Amino acid sequence: MKAKLGFFDFTGCEGCQLEVLNFETELVELLNHVDIVNFREAKTEREDNYEIAFVEGSITRESEIPRLKKIRQQAKIVVALGACACLGGVNCLKNFRPMEENLRIVYGDAARYYDTIPARPISSIVPVDYYVPGCPIDKKEFLKVTKALLLGKRPEIPNYPVCVECKLAGNVCTFDKGETCLGPVTRAGCNAICISNGRHCWGCRGPVDDPNTNSEKEILQKHGLTVEDILNQFRIFNGYLEVSK
Amino acid sequence: MENKIIEKQNMAPFVDNLINAEAEVIGPKRKDGKYAFDKLIETGELCLDYDTTLLPPKMYLFPPKETLIKFELGKEPKVEPVAEAKPLILFGVHPYDIKAIELLDVAFSTTNPDINYLSKREKAVIIGVDCLNPNPNAFCPSLGTATAETGFDLMLTDIGDSYVVAIGSSKGEQLLTKYAETREASQAELAQRNSERQKALARYKVTLNISPEELPQLLGKSWDSPWWKEKSEKCLSCGSCIVVCPTCFCFDVQDDIALNLKEGERYRQWDGCMLADFAAVAGEGNFRGDKESRFRHRMYRKGKYIWERYEKLGCVGCGRCASACLAEIASPAETFNKLKEESK
Amino acid sequence: MISQAVPPTSIYLPYLAELLRVESIAEREKLFEFKLSHGKELGHKPGQFVEISLFGIGEMPISISSSPTRKGSFELAVRAVGNVTNALHRLSKGATVGIRGPFGNGFPVDNLKGKDIVIVAGGIGLFPLRSLINYILDKRSEFGRLIILSGSRTPQERMFVNELEKWHKREDVELLETVDEGDEEWTGHVGVVTTLSSEVHIDPEKIFAVVVGPPVMYKFVVAECHKKGIPDERIIMSLERRMKCGIGKCGHCQINGVYVCQEGPVFTYAEVKKLREAI
Repeated sequence: MKAKLGFFDFTGCEGCQLEVLNFETELVELLNHVDIVNFREAKTEREDNYEIAFVEGSITRESEIPRLKKIRQQAKIVVALGACACLGGVNCLKNFRPMEENLRIVYGDAARYYDTIPARPISSIVPVDYYVPGCPIDKKEFLKVTKALLLGKRPEIPNYPVCVECKLAGNVCTFDKGETCLGPVTRAGCNAICISNGRHCWGCRGPVDDPNTNSEKEILQKHGLTVEDILNQFRIFNGYLEVSK
Repeated sequence: MENKIIEKQNMAPFVDNLINAEAEVIGPKRKDGKYAFDKLIETGELCLDYDTTLLPPKMYLFPPKETLIKFELGKEPKVEPVAEAKPLILFGVHPYDIKAIELLDVAFSTTNPDINYLSKREKAVIIGVDCLNPNPNAFCPSLGTATAETGFDLMLTDIGDSYVVAIGSSKGEQLLTKYAETREASQAELAQRNSERQKALARYKVTLNISPEELPQLLGKSWDSPWWKEKSEKCLSCGSCIVVCPTCFCFDVQDDIALNLKEGERYRQWDGCMLADFAAVAGEGNFRGDKESRFRHRMYRKGKYIWERYEKLGCVGCGRCASACLAEIASPAETFNKLKEESK
Repeated sequence: MISQAVPPTSIYLPYLAELLRVESIAEREKLFEFKLSHGKELGHKPGQFVEISLFGIGEMPISISSSPTRKGSFELAVRAVGNVTNALHRLSKGATVGIRGPFGNGFPVDNLKGKDIVIVAGGIGLFPLRSLINYILDKRSEFGRLIILSGSRTPQERMFVNELEKWHKREDVELLETVDEGDEEWTGHVGVVTTLSSEVHIDPEKIFAVVVGPPVMYKFVVAECHKKGIPDERIIMSLERRMKCGIGKCGHCQINGVYVCQEGPVFTYAEVKKLREAI
């Protein structure tokens, strides 16, 4: 029997869902084993008999909360898809300003028609079984997690920092190039894609289970960053962790 | 050991001949201001005066990720072993990396011979080059790894206008005869080689204040030193030290399956004792769950455990770990010197 | 150049084995009986382990629960805790798995011959010990007294209940059981396994203690053994580590300089006490 999958989006750019649709050949093969019964981004007919729910986006409005709870009630397995769902992600940048101010900046005079709450990951509302982190998600990792679920296996997401994969990729360390990087505290699994392409790690996959943030802070400071710079770096994807502490 | 001379202008044709005629040739190339072993397309890419490479050449014998078996699911699963190997020439390997490969040879052939490593090793030719511009974190002379007498097929030393070539095996000699223009080395040229090696020794910046033979004993009594906790506080558990290490050979084993959920493979990939979950067991336990015990374990492996098991040092002093460690804690030399000082 | 030739076969290639029987032992534990497809015996010693493969899921070290004296098949008792063990629990009769091994040293049965033996089992520590117990029972005359102290957390978590009953009834077995927490129906002893000690009288000159249980148990049991005058060389234990390769390469099971998959998993306490991080 084919497993029934649903894809759901909350507040986010829908880029992770697009990544899934970008698989094309793999997706066709995957459809031999699954039925996608609910995927607004990809199809009009929708059913609510899904067993595995992939949830994209963070929660930023009151009205999203009951919808997410309903998904949790239906699905046997809930998988958070992407940085927004897993961590709160970039949406959490607004949490450092009063909500009224956010509304005014975005909607101006129309602000009164909208509601907004501090952004949060879906795990702050419902229990989450598994995570496919990243901004956007990594295609191979999404497939790895999906295959694992189909085999009844707990997906293995690395619990070591990006440095492992970055070194394996043969990269010169970002710090050696006179820049800074969040790789040493960020969960691997992306194959250090940003660094391999000449950028640094922004921490989009969130921290490892037990990140040595003190040591990372010292290293960043030694490489010229101020405490404020460091906070700004961390907040890009991981601001929710800071306020939730 | 027999020695020949290759004039510098004859080196490029030799390498080109190897690339075109013999096998895949791997050598050190420039990479963003550093060096990395990579497949040579043409001689010009080869940098024989490099200090050290980002990753050690062991990756060609013990790849970061390697298939061990392939399987097909079904009522009667089909399983077959995989041990891929192709002829390979590792060109320009430094003596410390040769010593490291000698350790891997022992580790992978002792007790339960490992077909995946050994079949690659059998097909590999090692052409060494003396390290005359050591990495600032290296301490090879203290460990006797600045030069190598064994473990290579050919060993080159830059003596100015030419290379002295020491012949380490008949395989090496054949390659030389077939593809290189050589002549006999004169006494003066051999003396020049010694002099270049001597001059190189003076360029090392880090020294171990203890002989390697004493390390197991020193570590044996240093378990409770405050150093482990103090120094490891900064550890990021990022694994950089173990990934760049030429002697580390620990690995993890995992299964992967194709999208048809039918065919799959079991592979191993580099793993290491500095990563947080390395000593975790089923359920909740982790026998080295803190940074201190992981940091100590790595140093004990480098200076004691490997020596006791294989009679080879677990560290060759290449300095890669110290260069890679952002927290500046990874240098075995620093730790061993500190413990030596404490023991006085 | 190289010290050893390329071996003809891969040490990582499992043999296939057919699942003959599955039996539930307790809530999270099942017993699996396997037969190697090539028809040969596994050829193990009590206390050794195998690496079991569920292709596509992974490989996992599991101690062998049956005695080599029982020919034709072998048994693995498994608690479902991770990917491989959970998948194993979903299998039914007729399924095929992969087996590598047996690996490790096993219990020193030759040293135990002619001696009294006190077996101390904590929880699923009984899994590997069952192999030794049945080995001794099948060669009963070769051994002295057999005392079994078995501790479980609750009456529901008693393992191999039928066998415990059988051993109870035998005159040549002295079995004492306890549970950490009893319930309404439990009429037996309550307390941790060391609290059985006062009921056991031994001749310290000719006894071996064989102890397997959760890590926390060892220190207390060793202290109790010392009280009874059993020397470290005759306290035997089996240690749990995650042997990924089983053949002394991957490094996961290393305790100090020792590879548990090679020098262990069975050690004397005299050896264990020299190791840090062991228990």
